[in-house]
Amino acid sequence: MKNFLRSNIAKHETVLLAVVITEWFYFNSVGAHFGSLDNTFDIVRHSVEIGLLALVMTPIILTGGIDLSVGSLLGLCAILFGKLWRDAHFSPMAAGICTLGIGAVAGGLNATLITWLRLPPLIVTLGTYSLFRGLAEAITHGVDTFTKFPDSFLFLGQERFLGMPAQAPIFILVAIFVWLLVHRTTFGRSFRVIGFSPEGARYAGIPVERRIAMVYVLAGIISALAAIIYTARLGQAKADAGTGYELYAITAVVLGGTSIFGGIGTVHGTLLGVAAIAILSNGLVHARQPREVAGMLTGLLLILALCSSVVPKLFARLRARRQTAAPIQAVKTS
Amino acid sequence: MSAPLLQLNSITKSFDAVRALKGVSFSLNAGEVHALLGENGAGKSTLIKVITGAHQSNTGTIEINGKTVEKLTPASAHKLGVAAIYQQPALFPDLSAAENIALGLEPPSALRGIDWSQRRAQARELLKRVGADIDPGTEVRELSMPQQQLVEIARSLGKGARILIMDEPTASLTQKEVELLFGVIRQLRKDGVGIIYISHRLEEIFAVADRVTVLRDGESVGTHPVSEIDKAKLIRLMVGREVAAIYPPSQSVPGAVVLALSKIGCAQSQVHDVSFEVRAGEVFGLAGLVGAGRTELARILFGITPADSGTIQLNGKTITIQSPQSAIDDGIGYVPEDRRRHGVILEMSVAANTTMSIHRRIFPGTWLRSGAERELAQKYIRDLAIKTFSDESHVNTLSGGNQQKVALARWLASGPKVLILDEPTQGVDVGAKSEIHKLIRNLAAQGLAVIMISSDLPEILGMSDRIGIMRAGTITSILDGKTADAGTVMAAALGQTRPATAL
Repeated sequence: MKNFLRSNIAKHETVLLAVVITEWFYFNSVGAHFGSLDNTFDIVRHSVEIGLLALVMTPIILTGGIDLSVGSLLGLCAILFGKLWRDAHFSPMAAGICTLGIGAVAGGLNATLITWLRLPPLIVTLGTYSLFRGLAEAITHGVDTFTKFPDSFLFLGQERFLGMPAQAPIFILVAIFVWLLVHRTTFGRSFRVIGFSPEGARYAGIPVERRIAMVYVLAGIISALAAIIYTARLGQAKADAGTGYELYAITAVVLGGTSIFGGIGTVHGTLLGVAAIAILSNGLVHARQPREVAGMLTGLLLILALCSSVVPKLFARLRARRQTAAPIQAVKTS
Repeated sequence: MSAPLLQLNSITKSFDAVRALKGVSFSLNAGEVHALLGENGAGKSTLIKVITGAHQSNTGTIEINGKTVEKLTPASAHKLGVAAIYQQPALFPDLSAAENIALGLEPPSALRGIDWSQRRAQARELLKRVGADIDPGTEVRELSMPQQQLVEIARSLGKGARILIMDEPTASLTQKEVELLFGVIRQLRKDGVGIIYISHRLEEIFAVADRVTVLRDGESVGTHPVSEIDKAKLIRLMVGREVAAIYPPSQSVPGAVVLALSKIGCAQSQVHDVSFEVRAGEVFGLAGLVGAGRTELARILFGITPADSGTIQLNGKTITIQSPQSAIDDGIGYVPEDRRRHGVILEMSVAANTTMSIHRRIFPGTWLRSGAERELAQKYIRDLAIKTFSDESHVNTLSGGNQQKVALARWLASGPKVLILDEPTQGVDVGAKSEIHKLIRNLAAQGLAVIMISSDLPEILGMSDRIGIMRAGTITSILDGKTADAGTVMAAALGQTRPATAL
């Protein structure tokens, strides 16, 4: 038990869990309806799309990469989904499946540019970030909005299923899938190896390009899924859907303890990161604080989280330096 | 005669436990070309770095122009007139020759205007001094390699360099360009500049140097005027240490040919026309100087830079190795030279490193099975006597020798037919070194074909059944491990003999 405590107490995820619980109890005590079931469901509904993006961002960051295009792709997919349903008269189901395919192709574009042309992921996805959003705006001329979706489709975003928000079971399935992928398969192992050392991975015979391609294609598919759920929740699809979501997703992943340099991180950490941000922004509304405070506090939380992981290492390095400094002195004086 | 330009007295330098320099003394006079010679790892680079201030010596004194220098830093070395020119010119390719020269000369000041005509005139004058027919306005990227070297020399002279270090300046030059460079060196000598000249080409040392100092294992084994020494004596000095008889004897009888290369080449890595065979149970040593193409050949065989000509046969079947994955599938393993960057993943556990190249075999259906993984890791921790707290410890908590054993375990676990070892005992302590040697012998006895690249001459001689000598990107001769001695191997690596065609 003592060992268990010692090995887990200092873990990032444990600290973050404590933060999430503290947040919940604090807002529950200051906000009138914060702890109600309705509000809890509200939090879930509002965080599913960003949560999905954060989930698939985790393996990408584990490989040492980044995907800035997921928010823009969400917008593009929402528009294309609306277009397929309204103008091409697809059923919502068929339109949804096509949209997932489009997401896969868009992710494949990122993957191709990154692995074939060996361009840095930051630059590639900065490019597709503008490209996807620009396409969405061009298709709608910036004004076209898709609405009046059938109730059977809106059920996905607004009704309850199995006693919870209808999008929650989908999110849970994706979370389980990504968790297993990252923590229980050789793919996840490969992502970490690549994140620690892409060259080392090559020398170990890991198909580096294929693995990297995989995480970006997966991000494309799940961004499309998030687009469908987003459209169902709001009942409309516009070109600006998901603006800025990529940054929320990255924030959640990093807050969850994933190293931006790759190799280190967990999917449950990411889930806690999503929860911490979602509870904070919802709770502040209940505590009658202005919206801007949420952004500030999220930033503060992120910086504190980063410090908490860096400071112990800093101390360790200082200690190591003091230890190695001593023998060198001895040599000089002898 | 006045005090020497540079005088080093009993310089020692240690890195962790390794003593790279053990009391080296060295002097350089004005108007002298002093050659520095030694095997790979003899301590030449370390000595140069002490002189340029990049490394601080642990003990010993440095005198420049007769004055003792307390603490030499790169900046103070510059001020005292020390300049170094390396194999690869360190110039800004997008700037003109004049700008590159000016960068070293003009005091840095953001607000000062630039006097372009003065810059050009000064560059033209310096370039003339080194006999270079180069327009100062030319961008450096458009200049040839020797022209770039001349620009570097001009820059050093402009900075008032009195001690010029040239580290293998002729490595990428043609014979004619070498002659031109020698002309410049002779001119500089006349002007009273002292030159430390490093080269593996013995002819050059006799052509241009006044004195030669040979380093071996971090010690100076003698300084001689070149007029009083010959090539044979130099080679003896370089290698002449007692080869400790600690190498386990070869017991295996080489069996069938496992790997056969025929005219293998790869333009990108400058390897060409490599042909040799390795038999089961044989240790095939690959000797040669740094840059001769040994690691490049290993990278070809492991599919990192695939061959673009020639054929590779494995057990009589022609194979193409397009990637490390295909090399592994064919039964080729590679323990790379740079252990920390390529051989292991330092931040991951011993167990994860052990199974890294056999994911498909040990984790069928892609699901990780930590039981099977730990069992395998435990087996290799036992078999190779890897000193680690547990199989879950990160590799960076292990000593260098044990890290190397983990790198080996990864490839043994893959059950290879051919194992390529690139400097398997570099940076490994003596105890682990002999364990690794025993291990290599055992593997060969089990019928593995081993290719061992090593710059450690006693290791090559002590371990190899046959020795392939690489020089300038190809195998120039293959010697019998029983009859070869340090002299013949070193002479062949330096290109001093006709290619002997023993099998």
